[in-house]
Order: sequence, then C-alpha cells, then structure tokens
Amino acid sequence: MEIEGIDQLITNEYRFFLQEKRSWSLTVESQDLELVAHALRVLLHARTTPDFAADYLALVDCQNADGGWSPYSADQESTVWVSAFCGLMLIRGNRLLHHERITKSVQRAIDYFLDTQKGDGRWTDPRWADLDTTSHPVSFFNVVMALNESHRHADVLRCWEHGARFIVDHQGQDGGWYDDDFHPSGIEITAHLIQDALVADLVIDNRIKGIHESCARGAAKLYEWQAQDGSWDGENVDHTMDCTRSLMVVARILNDTRAEDVIMRGLRWILIHKNPQGWGDFPGMETNLERTCDGLDTLLKYKAYQNHDSREVMKLWGYVS
Amino acid sequence: MPETWLETCPLRELPVGSRKLIKLNGIEIALFNIDGTIYAIKNRCPHRSGPLIRGFIDPAGGMKCPGIKCPMHGWRFDLRDGSSERPVQATVYPIKIEDGGVYLRLP
Repeated sequence: MEIEGIDQLITNEYRFFLQEKRSWSLTVESQDLELVAHALRVLLHARTTPDFAADYLALVDCQNADGGWSPYSADQESTVWVSAFCGLMLIRGNRLLHHERITKSVQRAIDYFLDTQKGDGRWTDPRWADLDTTSHPVSFFNVVMALNESHRHADVLRCWEHGARFIVDHQGQDGGWYDDDFHPSGIEITAHLIQDALVADLVIDNRIKGIHESCARGAAKLYEWQAQDGSWDGENVDHTMDCTRSLMVVARILNDTRAEDVIMRGLRWILIHKNPQGWGDFPGMETNLERTCDGLDTLLKYKAYQNHDSREVMKLWGYVS
Repeated sequence: MPETWLETCPLRELPVGSRKLIKLNGIEIALFNIDGTIYAIKNRCPHRSGPLIRGFIDPAGGMKCPGIKCPMHGWRFDLRDGSSERPVQATVYPIKIEDGGVYLRLP
C-alpha cells in the first residue's frame, strides 16, 4: 500500500473530522464523552493537540467529584470505561500541553481507579464487559507508569498488576478471551486486551510472567479469526479496525512478522469499505463520527507501523514517552 | 385520538427467519420474523448506536421472549418490550398483520 495515498486520505478525513467539530467538541456544547475521547485520540495522533488545548481543559471541567467521568458530560455519575479513556487522553495530551490543571485531573483519575477496583482485580461498568472494562484502567496505568507519573506510585503498581493478572488468568484455552454476554465471538475483546492491557508490560516493566506467551496466543487467535476478505466478526468495521490496529502494536513489540499480511488484508478491507467521507459500522451503512475517528486512528497508526523503528508505533499507544 | 397504523411491507416480504430494515418518518426500524411472530425495534442500539438489524437473534433461553443482541457490544434487548439487563432499554413498536400487510404503530 502506497504511503502517499494514505497521506492524502488522512488529510481528507481529518478535514472532514474538523468540519464535524460541533459534534465532538466540549467547547461547543455538552457531549457524549466516549465520542470526545475518540476525537481527542485523533488529535493526539495527528499531532495537533496543542491547537486544541481548550478541548482537553474542557474535559477536565466535566470531571466528577470522585475523579471519574460519566458517559455524558452533563451527567454526574462516574463509570469506569469512559473514565479510563478520558484519563488516558488527558495524561497523554499533557505531555504536550504541560498544564497544571490537567496534571491535577490525572491524579484525581488515578485516585478514582484505585478506589474502584474490586477485590479480585477487576473493574466493573454496567455498559461494558468486565474484562473489557478492566483493560481500560490497566491501560491507563500502563501509560501512567510509562510517563513516570509518580502520584501514589506504589498503589498504582499494585492495582495495575492485580488488574493485569485478572486479564491473563481469564484467557481461554484457545488463546482468545470471551464474555458470553457482551462478546461471545471473543474477537473484539481479544484485540482490545492484547493491545490495551498486556503487551505494554513487555516494554515498560516485564513484571508479569507469561505476558509474552499470552499476547502471542491472542494474536494467533486473531490471525485465525480473520475472514478471507480481510475483515473480522462478520464484516464489522469497528472490530476490523480494532483487530488491525491491535496487531500493529503487538506484532511490532513481539517482532512477529506473520502479522504483516494479516494487517495489510485488514487495512485493504477497511479502505474498500470506506464511504466518500468517513466510515459506517458495516459496509454500506451511513457514516458515523465515532467510526470515522477509529478509521483515522487506524490510518495514522499504520503510518507509524510503516516505520520499522518499533518505538514509533508504541508511542501511539503511549507506551513509550 | 384514533390509532394510526403505518404499512411497512407485505408479509410475504418477511418470511419466517428473515429480517428487514425499513424507515418510517425518518426512523430506522428493524423488523424480524421469528417463528411466525413479527417484531419491530428501533434499529440503533441505545448503547453506541450499533445497527440491531445486523444483530444476533437470541432465543428466549430462560428470558421472557426472544431477544436481539447488538453486533457491536452484545447488549441484549427483549423484542417484545425492549427491556434489557443493561442500563437503557430499546424502543419497540406494536405490530399488526392485516390483509397480508405488516402494520406498525409509532408512539
């Protein structure tokens, strides 16, 4: 795939993303914070965060008293999944913004996750599967450690390890992760867990025994699950983007060359099923902004993946500073 | 106020085991024929707007009624009343079959 063509596509899609700012920016009105976090991730990876400092600060403004965030900015009740996504965007954004209010906000988010972990290491959220939910604070703590944020460091380390072990311990015999209610196929959750929670340990601390093998088995399951046409999970655009992106960082960290062909087939399928502007949830469906953010993120990560210095792709997950 | 039933499609276009996406008054509605009973549910999942027309039919299996599971993140909705174990329920619509047609009533 020609990188020049990807560059032009990123330019066009980023322009469309900015045209839709009214739908994702907290500086305009109250928003769906899961969408806001997707949008802030695009800004991070497009390297335009400094131009949108007001959006990051607006996210600080809607943090709840307990340190978490609600699925909708105007609400008051915190939930774990979206809180971790918001906290992650703020700690990563603040590497560029260096804003004291964001620093304090991240520390309050750390407190929130330390306070809400269950006794067996999991975090729960009624909107998401427990394994998926748990992967988010673990991922947030990965970045907290990678960026040397020292707030309650010993507690973070203990909770992070407990959460990561919960995930490793619930891997299926065949290498995938499953949740009968939320993710019976196991595809999306396996892609999330290996990229967002587990593989980072190999570059940060390598503290948990068996992580390398666990990720390798998860990645092998994703190879096996890919359809002939390059998609995953019944032509699900979201899950195909998840798998493609996940394998980019996992393959680079594990140095697994088998992923190359799998990633390229996934990316080609994603490009074939793109709408004139943005992506829908399935081929032929109307564009939605969250999927468009995921599509842009996939293209931006692919550019980094093309660089054979593995640090370039790891940076886009925040696993190296 | 008289009830207003809107025609969706001829019943023959929705045989047992099939599904069909329609649009009425700008609302996307997913129709399912499960074992001869027609169900109508708003197509967009109240979680992350996943298209329920692409969802997985979940047999009653201890539940009150067959359900539909969203293809994005698995939220299950009872097709009879839209209820769910998740924090939000889905919108379902009353259906009647008359003169070989499938009719639906919007709230």
